[in-house]
Amino acid sequence: MLSLFILLPFFCLIAVNLPVKGARRLAFWLTASLFVLQILAVLLHPSVFWGMKEDLFANFFAINFSVNNLSLVIFLTIGIVGLVSLIIGKYTLANRPDRFHFTNLLLTALIGMNALALLTDLFSMYVFIEVTALSSFILIAVQREKTALEGAFKYLIISTIASALMLSSVALILLVSGSTSFDVVSAALKASSGSVFVKLAVALFLCGPFIKSGLVPFHGWLPDAYSAAPSAVSVLLAGIITKVSGVYVLMKLVMSVFGFTPVIRDILMFAGALSIVFGALAAIGQKDFKRMLAYSSISQVGYIIIGLGCGTKLAIAGAALHFFNHAVFKSLLFTNAAVMEQKLGTVDMDKMGGLTSRMPFTGMTSLIAFLSTAGIPPLSGFWSKLLIVVALWTSGMHGYAAIALLASVLTLAYFLSMQRRVFFGKLRPGLEAVQEAGTGLVITQVALALVILGVGLGFPFMLKTLAPLKNILW
Amino acid sequence: MNETAMQAFWFFGIFISLLFIIGVYCILATFNLLRALIGVEVLIKGATLLIILAGYLTGNTALAQAFVITLIVIEVVVMVVAGGVILWVFRHNGAIDARKLTDLKG
Repeated sequence: MLSLFILLPFFCLIAVNLPVKGARRLAFWLTASLFVLQILAVLLHPSVFWGMKEDLFANFFAINFSVNNLSLVIFLTIGIVGLVSLIIGKYTLANRPDRFHFTNLLLTALIGMNALALLTDLFSMYVFIEVTALSSFILIAVQREKTALEGAFKYLIISTIASALMLSSVALILLVSGSTSFDVVSAALKASSGSVFVKLAVALFLCGPFIKSGLVPFHGWLPDAYSAAPSAVSVLLAGIITKVSGVYVLMKLVMSVFGFTPVIRDILMFAGALSIVFGALAAIGQKDFKRMLAYSSISQVGYIIIGLGCGTKLAIAGAALHFFNHAVFKSLLFTNAAVMEQKLGTVDMDKMGGLTSRMPFTGMTSLIAFLSTAGIPPLSGFWSKLLIVVALWTSGMHGYAAIALLASVLTLAYFLSMQRRVFFGKLRPGLEAVQEAGTGLVITQVALALVILGVGLGFPFMLKTLAPLKNILW
Repeated sequence: MNETAMQAFWFFGIFISLLFIIGVYCILATFNLLRALIGVEVLIKGATLLIILAGYLTGNTALAQAFVITLIVIEVVVMVVAGGVILWVFRHNGAIDARKLTDLKG
């Protein structure tokens, strides 16, 4: 019953909007349990649920769902980041109606993303990319602040252009192959690979996910959208929305439709390397905490893309692992940003200093997250970057491997400067009254830090036991 | 594709590329948010026409119709969301001029 991944959020969405007393109050717990169910379903992978092949919904509408090991990682990431975002939203969004709208839109985005992980049809993928993107536009502007509206509008225009490009590509593919399902399209593309239409279609389609995942040179909207959105939404955007509707769509298409032709590999590796370096350099100069995290996201997404571009099995495993790791540590860093926004009323790093003495949990978890981002052993980020670099080196891309390694030093540089300005040193005058965040946010931070530590320390052990990791690598 | 289909494709292709050029030019040239939105709309219309053309030339008219109807529904939702965003920008700024949207930089 794979369609449950789409149907359960859908029914949940209807249930919380029923005109019954108390339905709204249940919204948080219902959505939270949905995310927990999704996480459990993945962690207990070879269970009864995955064995049920009869799917009435899919049969009735004649949809083909397919799940591979990569989709399991996506489901797990969606579950974890969605839960974190929901909890942050509960504690940081001030208005009760805003919180309710936030939960509704989160469920809509969940439908879109889960569907993207399951579908095997180009046009349906376009539809659900739009569902995800539309809910994220509203999510950014959910509090109707001036800056948030500006970020949302930029994202909206650029993202709609990306959809138009993807749509034209779908039309060209329809012209060549007469269908939009993956199997037919992939066969037709192989048969007429020299045709101008095919080249144009592939180029147009690649532009779409590139824009959606904010790769350089299509990154213009990303820092604005991330920094202007409420922190709960930033977590969602950085952790899953841009990654599922951009990076994952790219992975899925390159792996199962377009194939690893030399041109596509070159484009991916070049865009990845450019994003890694540019994102890291731009992050160094930032004053705004969330803006710095946004540029860091560009850089880390570059690692995933470079791993995908390499194309070997090891590299794709590394990319998938980095997909998960990046979602976890970026969620943790954005949770830290949410705490600071709530307690200090600002995310300007020049107005902070020595906060570890006032917020021990926030300071320590942020340290763990940034060490993991920079790829310091034995944290989780180290393993995924190691896999990507080793895969690049063994397939003869020594230059790209060197870039990937050296950019880690840049990552360390900007995060060290951030830690020194925000958390270390003497407490800045005027911040004596700052307090640690509430229990809910502290528990979220500690839990995410434990996930990072756990994946890092237990990685060799997990390779053999945890279903998603095991299946991807072996 | 045979010869007549190719000819039909290029004939309509000119109009489609014209729509694309108009749309992109409209987005780039204007500072008015609503006009930029109209530019996006024209761009999507070009893509819609391309889908219809593809369905017609390959004999998949039913599939293309289903796609276009879905597409129109999505497009309407995009326009409503964008209209809402522009409305709130207007309420904050008293204008829908992109030159006044300068809070986010760096």
